[in-house]
Amino acid sequence: MFKLLKTVIKTGEATVRYPFAPLPVSPGFRGKPEYDPTQCIACGACTIACPANALSMATDVEQGTRTWELFLGRCIFCARCEEVCPTRAIALSPEFELAVGNKADLYQRATFTLTACRSCQRPFAPSKEIDYAMALLVHSGLEADAVAEQRAHFETCPECKRHQSIPDSDKLTLGQTTTKGGAL
Amino acid sequence: MTLSTETRIGRHYVEALRERFPSTVLEEEWQTDDQVTVTVKVNALPEVVEWLYYQQGGWLSVLFGNDERQLHGNYAVYYVLSMEETVKSWVVVRAQVDAGTLEFPSVTPRVPAAVWGEREIRDMYGLIPVGLPDERRLVLPDDWPDGLYPLRKDAMDYRERPAPTTAVETYPFVNDARGETRDVGLGPLHITSDEPGHFRLFVDGETIVDADYRLFYVHRGMEKLAETRMGYDEVTFLSDRVCGICGFTHSVAYTSSVENALGIKAPPRAQMIRSLFLEVERLHSHLLNIGLASHFVGFDTGFMQFFRVREKSMTLAELLTGARKTYGMNLIGGVRRDILKDQRIATLKVVRELRTEVAQLVEMLIETPNLAQRTQGIGILDRKVARDFSPVGPLIRGSGFKRDIRADHHYAGYAQLPFDVKVLDGGDVQSRVLVRVKEFFDSLDLIERALELMPEGPILLEGFDYTPHRFALGFAEAPRGEDIHWSMTGDNQKLFRWRCRAPTYANWPALRYMLRGNTVSDAPLIVASLDPCYSCTDRVTLVDVKKRKSSTIAYTEFERYGRERKHSPLK
Repeated sequence: MFKLLKTVIKTGEATVRYPFAPLPVSPGFRGKPEYDPTQCIACGACTIACPANALSMATDVEQGTRTWELFLGRCIFCARCEEVCPTRAIALSPEFELAVGNKADLYQRATFTLTACRSCQRPFAPSKEIDYAMALLVHSGLEADAVAEQRAHFETCPECKRHQSIPDSDKLTLGQTTTKGGAL
Repeated sequence: MTLSTETRIGRHYVEALRERFPSTVLEEEWQTDDQVTVTVKVNALPEVVEWLYYQQGGWLSVLFGNDERQLHGNYAVYYVLSMEETVKSWVVVRAQVDAGTLEFPSVTPRVPAAVWGEREIRDMYGLIPVGLPDERRLVLPDDWPDGLYPLRKDAMDYRERPAPTTAVETYPFVNDARGETRDVGLGPLHITSDEPGHFRLFVDGETIVDADYRLFYVHRGMEKLAETRMGYDEVTFLSDRVCGICGFTHSVAYTSSVENALGIKAPPRAQMIRSLFLEVERLHSHLLNIGLASHFVGFDTGFMQFFRVREKSMTLAELLTGARKTYGMNLIGGVRRDILKDQRIATLKVVRELRTEVAQLVEMLIETPNLAQRTQGIGILDRKVARDFSPVGPLIRGSGFKRDIRADHHYAGYAQLPFDVKVLDGGDVQSRVLVRVKEFFDSLDLIERALELMPEGPILLEGFDYTPHRFALGFAEAPRGEDIHWSMTGDNQKLFRWRCRAPTYANWPALRYMLRGNTVSDAPLIVASLDPCYSCTDRVTLVDVKKRKSSTIAYTEFERYGRERKHSPLK
């Protein structure tokens, strides 16, 4: 009993002063995801990786926009989004005070413009993503002019690209596209 | 995966099976070098499981069904036996169940440990274990429609919620008492763990004659969710959420089950980090339970002190993983966060502090007369009951059985971290508390050694492919016993089947026998000594069978009585 009292006295006050004083967290703490829409290219990698479906993306074809959304109420602070983001647009911060008075405040949205396909005019990919892909090609060693010339190609949706790459049957001569075995 | 026959551990079990039960074994498939799945004729299932269980030193870790109609037209049932006596390995006994008759012979009359699993198979797949003594629902609620079996592949979408079929509880509680008894309900929420469960204590005066319970009020349908909505890596984070305390253990079990199924190995550094995080998790879990034990014997200062010190282990988790809970650290193929020099130094410092501080507190706790008085000889888990029901964790180690997955089967980095499994023979609440105390100090040693032996190299294996319909077991020793996961890969980037068994699932069936013969005021203590992982009891229903009367007592009142043992609410 004496020992116990000694421990109690030696410990003093164990209660921390928070919320009247800031509560320090460890370095590398996984708190609220901080999102930078200027960095984001709306590629959707984070929305696929998010195990809790806190991140989602919705496309509005009529408006030609794609809206990225984070719902903090579902976030499990796993940092998978941070891990998969190619442009460092999202990273977990040490902030942990997330209580809000209004549920709507837990949502964060960013809307991006989609580029319309040059061929079918349907919006298909975020403009920023196309620019990013082209910039990547330049970065990987291709000539900037050569890449810029290809812009029409990059701004064509995959479906139209497929149609364009099917040889016109009128111009097709047998033998050109057959392999040795004779199969197409 | 091709494994040479020589390296297969436990192949003699299969050879002996073939010899003893000629023309019963239909198929033999090795998942890893110590995991074998033998498909037997369905009618021989009870004999085979019984023989492996009682004659060969097997323990029934988990059993489950699987809707394999798209693969071969039949259902299948799997009985996972952990062989622990001579050669330590896993033998999974599998039998195909005809999709027309849906019948298979029940193993429960021969091996009581199978009772919950078979009841669950009935609920989830509508298969009929012929001869099962207890045919009540286990997992499905009373108001669930008949004939809707959630885990059948063609049954329902995971978002569907069938309309309730009844407004009242229809669950019949079982009372084996010979004489007349009063009926004490304990629930709808459990006392310590703040989780729902309905206990019915049948009492004669103050003595519990028998007990029965109804759980699964918070069944979250995770297995269905994993199979239908999530990809492989996402399930890792779902498995974290199985438990609020031993989440990391579940994700280690899950990820290693998929790794085993695919025949890949996480890098050695990742394995060691997993072991280290597992021990960090054990630290805070054991301190929590020891703290609660103090609380329940009325030593509240001790409770406060243990919780104060426990904060250090939470800070340790935050330091190493970036969150107070060791959540979200695993991926299939390894871990996501490395341990750097600063963290290493800080960890060693916290470990030293914990060792001295907890040693002092434990000394005080043991010297407290309340502890011995309230826990010695209370809630005894008989050795025979223990053998029959395959309980796990400190519960069975407190009853003299040396069962610890960390030592019995290889996973994570434990092959390089030898330690003595702590065993006590008392079988009572005190033994379980003391086993936890000893294990706490083991964990501190293991953390130090893991840091010392930390191999160099990558922490995550990437670039492997998923092969459809491969399966294997994964396992990890949680603070309250082993977690067993069984995963089968699918052909759509999702799991075909995921079976996840938390340790408390294996411990509940034995609780009934532990409650018998004790007083009502000891019930919360006994239940808490399981360190159960379900949900908390806010209030208690007392049912008087003699007087046909039931009354509900507020939780605080019941807890007060549990501590003070004065002014019985029964009177």
